[in-house]
Amino acid sequence: MRMSTVLETQRLDATFAALADPTRRAMLARLAVHDATVNELAAPISLSLQAVSKHLKVLERAGLISRGRQAQFRPCHLEPTALLAATDWIEQQRRLWSERFDQLDGHLRELQGRGSDDG
Amino acid sequence: MAEPATGPDLVYTRVFAAPRTLVFECMTRPEHLTHFWGPAGTSAPLEHIKVDLRPGGVFETVMVSDADGSRMPTRAVFVEVTEPVRLVWVETQSGMTSTATFVELDDGRTEVEIRQTNAPEAYRAPAARAGFTTSLDRFADYLDQQGST
Repeated sequence: MRMSTVLETQRLDATFAALADPTRRAMLARLAVHDATVNELAAPISLSLQAVSKHLKVLERAGLISRGRQAQFRPCHLEPTALLAATDWIEQQRRLWSERFDQLDGHLRELQGRGSDDG
Repeated sequence: MAEPATGPDLVYTRVFAAPRTLVFECMTRPEHLTHFWGPAGTSAPLEHIKVDLRPGGVFETVMVSDADGSRMPTRAVFVEVTEPVRLVWVETQSGMTSTATFVELDDGRTEVEIRQTNAPEAYRAPAARAGFTTSLDRFADYLDQQGST
């Protein structure tokens, strides 16, 4: 068992959990435009700073954002890598079904006596 | 079944030049599934496919890699069986739900839609996590093997 794979799947786990919440998705959309502080993120959505901080912690654990080091403002920065891992997983699922469908199509043609290689 | 509250569904659609009853049979009988269930580079051996076509019945498959013989088993349970229009199964480890809908088109062809839901919820459920991580792990390993041949 490769350790990197275990870590990747745990990260993917956290990523999907983080993405399951509409407020957090809105925050990510905001951060995709540019970095923002907790105050800036709280302003457009009617949430307390405490609630926003809680959401940010989930996003940070999922590797979807990083926080700046300046203690006072700690601007949030979008980290696209975790998001890419999630979309990769979705792409794998899509490919699985695409290939199944291709093969089912060929199988149905054979069952119906049409051969597998006509247009 | 309640609609899941979170996450976008994953949807795959394809139109097949075959009558609906035949397409439904292909999706539910081991002697047909063995021909297409494993994606490219794998096989789904007939002796490992179990289909107990009723709500609560098992739906089990094993995908075997052509390259090195590694196996990726999937265990699921049917939630709904409405021949020949609808089939719903839940993977027991992950909780991921797949709904297959079979639609008869006017020209005699059949449209199949596969809708996957609950993946994010499955990730969140502590009981399901370990299993899902394991199966994802196998899947990732499997993909690595495919990529390295």
